[in-house]
Amino acid sequence: MKKITIDPITRLEGHGKITIFLNEDGSVANTYLQIPELRGFEKFSEGRIAEDMPQITQRICGVCPEAHHMAATKALDDLFHVEPTSTAKKLRELFYSAFYVTDHTTHFYILAAPDFVMGPDAAPAERNILGVIGKVGLELGGAVINTRKQNHWIIQTIGGRPIHPCFGLPGGVSKAINEEERTKIEEIARGSVEFAKLSLKVFDDVVLKNKAYLDMVLSNTFVQKSYNMGLVDKNNKVNFYDGKVRVVGPDGKELCKYAPREYLEHIAERVEPWTYLKFPYLKKVGWKGFVDGKDSGVYRATPLSRLNAADGMATPLAQAEYERMYSTLGGKPANYTLATHWARLIELLYAAERLLELSRDPEITSPNVRNIPTAKPDEGVGIVEAPRGTLTHHYITDEKGIIKKCNLIVGTTNNYAALFMSVKKAAEDFVKPGVKITEGLLNRIEMAWRPYDPCMSCATHALPGQLPLEVTIYDVQGNEVQRLSQGVQ
Amino acid sequence: MKTLVLGMGNPILSDDGVGIRVAQEVGKRLNDPQVTVAETSAAGISLLDFIAGYDRVIIIDAIQTKAGNAGQIYRMGSENFSLTKHISSPHQIDLATALELGKMLNLAMPREITVFAVEAKDITSFSEKCTPEVEQAIPEVVKMVLEQLDA
Repeated sequence: MKKITIDPITRLEGHGKITIFLNEDGSVANTYLQIPELRGFEKFSEGRIAEDMPQITQRICGVCPEAHHMAATKALDDLFHVEPTSTAKKLRELFYSAFYVTDHTTHFYILAAPDFVMGPDAAPAERNILGVIGKVGLELGGAVINTRKQNHWIIQTIGGRPIHPCFGLPGGVSKAINEEERTKIEEIARGSVEFAKLSLKVFDDVVLKNKAYLDMVLSNTFVQKSYNMGLVDKNNKVNFYDGKVRVVGPDGKELCKYAPREYLEHIAERVEPWTYLKFPYLKKVGWKGFVDGKDSGVYRATPLSRLNAADGMATPLAQAEYERMYSTLGGKPANYTLATHWARLIELLYAAERLLELSRDPEITSPNVRNIPTAKPDEGVGIVEAPRGTLTHHYITDEKGIIKKCNLIVGTTNNYAALFMSVKKAAEDFVKPGVKITEGLLNRIEMAWRPYDPCMSCATHALPGQLPLEVTIYDVQGNEVQRLSQGVQ
Repeated sequence: MKTLVLGMGNPILSDDGVGIRVAQEVGKRLNDPQVTVAETSAAGISLLDFIAGYDRVIIIDAIQTKAGNAGQIYRMGSENFSLTKHISSPHQIDLATALELGKMLNLAMPREITVFAVEAKDITSFSEKCTPEVEQAIPEVVKMVLEQLDA
């Protein structure tokens, strides 16, 4: 048996490893996924003061500290039995919308666009952000940087400091914004809406108008019919900050809709002997192995699944794009993994529009930003949609608010089973007897993985950050017979 | 010369926090309006937001190499980055790519960048403490950063 190793997965934070075992004839015998995971967070948090959790948990991840800060803050509302003021909720959502604008912008231009703008077979040295900007123009490159920078200003202004916010408190936020800040936020939001529209046009021009790419998006290799998870508001529209978690089947039927406190009734975790990863699945459906279809409890929590799980978008421009996407893809739900990139851009537009709406809300500059909790803390659950999936924080404390137990289901974890299946299917379709294993071919396998934007061990970024891609092929005896490596000296 | 001392890493992930620990120690020993000391857990393109506008940047981070010993200290100048850009994966955005992107977009990129990296032993366990080997290296790195600032 031969073995192909892709180590590490490139273009994502942290690193993972795909190992493909081949049969004698060169077809795929088995595919495995290895992901390095951080250890001991639950234990680390025991004995700490609950109010510190928004500061501590955001350190888990260098990519989405804002998401952990929000989920933790909402868990504290629940823990202390306090409802935030209306302005506090709006400020949190405004902040969170600005975060989504930065995160989705980064993913699309840095991680997703190189495959499409430069092409999956482009020379590796060109298939990166520098190549993308070289091709689409410096002006757009400047807009990417500028959009990120301005929205970081919003995050810093509301969040209290750059990168790691410190404004979330049980019952509200630590400070209000003034009219001068509001005016600037509104201006940034207007620019962000234009930028999101432009980004969707780039997607149209580069991907949708290119038949080869559209065929790839629609090809069976990248189809996966799993359940879809996403947070929705009371009208079943996509919401990142608040609402209930809705799960919709690959047939479009609602399986369940649950409040944060009910998450354990719906989600269980599967343990497999070959990995220490745990695979969350839908309890009601049950674990049937790594298979898709409505009888398998595997679900996805990605931008595309959020759109699939909802009835629409709560803002007008994003709603129009939502309708256009489903009419192009032949209806709802869409089970095309690569369309996740498209869904991410529709979410970018929604986040920018929501930012603009909130910046114009008459309540947004109100000084009434906190209700002081008076009840004794006991147990709290907070859920937000992190860019990479539904994020759940669950704390149990003593009556002084000292953490006794902490359970987190982080965004990427939801998708472990699904992304493993996507990679396996791509490997089986691309690696065939007699087909030469090239860099471009391996990149196509990775393209099955990239839409999930998995973020593993993301807080770990010891130099050199990420390692070069290396593919090693072993023969039946385990001897190395071929080494495909790009950029390794 | 407008200088940034940037500690990178995660302060609750054992040795991954060494860069931040060093930056904090350096900050305690400095009183120079020209020098800003900062810390971040962000990487990649976010670095651009941090380093734009400074003449000189000193970064302290953890590193893991194949044959290194925990606590070993490496000093790298921009000449090493031009190498790492070509030996790194095409898909990521690392420091060298971030710098090149900044230049491409006409952002004010620093003229001089020095990286002090400390070989880490454990970067996957949650802890606010570094391992003893890495802990021992901290005073030496602090000294090296201060000397670099005087250079």
